[in-house]
Order: sequence, then structure tokens, then C-alpha cells
Amino acid sequence: MEEYRVESAASGEQTAEEGKGGDEGKKMKVMAGVDESEGSMHALCWALDHLFTATGGEVPDKTQALGRLILLHAQQPLYHFVHPMGPAVYATLTAMESMRNAQKENSIWVLERASQICIERLVKAETIIIDGDPKDVICQATEEMSIDLLIMGSRGLGKVKRAILGSVSDYCAHHAKCPILIVKPPKVHP
Amino acid sequence: MAAAEAAAGKTVMVVGIDDSEHSFYALQWTLLHFFSGRGLDPPFKLVVVHAKRSAPSVIGLAGPGGVDVLPYVESDLKRIAARVIEKAKELCTANSVADVEYEVVEGDSRNVLCEAVEKHHADMLVVGSHGYGAIKRTVLGSVSDYCAHHAHCSVMIVKKPKPKH
Repeated sequence: MEEYRVESAASGEQTAEEGKGGDEGKKMKVMAGVDESEGSMHALCWALDHLFTATGGEVPDKTQALGRLILLHAQQPLYHFVHPMGPAVYATLTAMESMRNAQKENSIWVLERASQICIERLVKAETIIIDGDPKDVICQATEEMSIDLLIMGSRGLGKVKRAILGSVSDYCAHHAKCPILIVKPPKVHP
Repeated sequence: MAAAEAAAGKTVMVVGIDDSEHSFYALQWTLLHFFSGRGLDPPFKLVVVHAKRSAPSVIGLAGPGGVDVLPYVESDLKRIAARVIEKAKELCTANSVADVEYEVVEGDSRNVLCEAVEKHHADMLVVGSHGYGAIKRTVLGSVSDYCAHHAHCSVMIVKKPKPKH
């Protein structure tokens, strides 16, 4: 039977997980891709509720039961938002600045929301922001960080009702080298 | 937030298996990460589903003589199904997991798995990334791709890591 060390209140710092118990094989490095969409937040909630469960009694940090949780937010490169308008093909410097700031604020907001979800469920999480196209960023990050499980929502920003699987999650399902958990949005009960 | 998952709220996991290495890897991975070391009462309920192909689907559009081959193909498929379930049982006992349901359902794996999800009100479907006929160029098998799109619950695709050169 594994023994869980009872930690004091979650400080947001990362603790060394490696020394816990003898069964190294089951501790996982889990990464959740988060963006502004409800789908990815729901995916995080679902995964935390269903997978990060304590085996017995209350543990202040449920991450102990399963492993490390990393929240990844991919920041779209800015040239996506700049389109040629009339004679001025390039956006002015100030416009770029303000867009960059807006984007940074957005990323911080996303990660704060995600962190809040984790804190509510007594799970410690680390947060990372990486610049780039979400598909590539996520797949690369899973490889570089030796992630054991990737958690994603099934539909994100492109809310096309008929698409049953969003493009980023579809891409990652095909190309990520690690196991991937795709969480579908909750069913709407008639 | 109190631990609400104790009695009734166990997460139901359906694991789809066939005769391939990939699907047994997926089962083993699931057992290792979610069931090992949890003692006698893990917060998950496991249902192992094997889709048995029907003999006519295997024979396909065989010419004359197809009918004669039918009983042999049928018994062969039954044997494979029994072996698959046997192997799954061994894996579960090796990981000390006792509370498992095993099902063999005849039909196309895509439909069988999605229906099993409905039947067991599964919270999660676990599949390997490739099954029968894993063609090297495809990065994701057709069944796992179908399930990722169409299953009504969360889908976990477990990939068997390629050996590094």
C-alpha cells in the first residue's frame, strides 16, 4: 500500500514528486492544452474530476495520486492578426505593441482560469506559455517534456457545429507521440 | 471539495481490444497508470470489450466455395476472440485488478465500441492507436480515428512508442 505524505496547503510551488513510494511506473507527467474556449476548460475540469481522484481520505494535493500536471497555453504568432489594410501593409509599431500586450493579457487570463480550476480541485499545476501554432507547439512540447498523457478539449475556437473534432485536437490525436485524452463537451440534455 | 467519487460515482472506462500489440499495450498502459497501486478499490470501473468480426465480413466477396469455408472461419474467429479475452484477463490479474467486465461483441469494431460506450454509460473509451493491419504510413488507425470523432464520451488514444533507432 502506498503512503501519501500529507503536504501543507498548496503553495503553488512545485514539489519533488520522485521520492514518493516505490512504484515509479505509475507516476505520470500529464499535460493539458488550454485556450480561451469553454471546451478546453471543460476538458481540464473533466480530467481533474475523473482522473485525479484521491484513493482514500482527503489529501491536500491530489496530484500525488497521479503525477505532475502541466498547463500549456499556445500563443498564436502575431502575424495572424495583422492583415494588409490599404496602403499601410504593415501595422504600426504601436499597434503591434498593443496587440502583443492584449495577447499576453489573454494568455495570462487563460492560465489563471485554468490554475483556478486546479486549485479548486486540490491539484497542483505548473503553467507554461509557448509561442507558435497550437498544433505544433503541443506536439513538440509533449515530446520535449516526455509527457505521459496529453489532455485536450475536442473543439476549440473554431466553433463549427458540424465539426465533431476540432482541428487542433484532431492533429494532435494523429501526430502526438504520447497517449492523448480527448474530452468531449458535455451533452446538452433536452 | 469532498471526495464525491466514493460509492456510486466510479469512472467507467471501456477499453477496446483486438488481437494487436497496440491494443494490449493500451490495456496494459491503462492498468498501470490508473489501477496499479490503488489497492482493492480503485475509483475506476473497467470494461474490456472485444469486437469479434463476423465470418461473412472476413470472407467478403469470396467466390464459390465461400460458403464452405464459413464454419472454419467462424471457429477461427471464436478461437481468436477467446484468446484475446484470455490474454486480457491475464493482464488484469497481473496488475491485481479484479473488478473487470469482459465482453465479446460481434460486429465492426467502430460500432461495437461506440455502442459499448452507450451501453455501459462509459465516461471514457480507451483504444490503442492501431489495430489489425497497421499500415506503417498511417499515424492513427481508422478505428481509433472513428472513435475519437464519434464516441459520445471522452476518448483516450494510447500510442505504443516506436523504438528509437
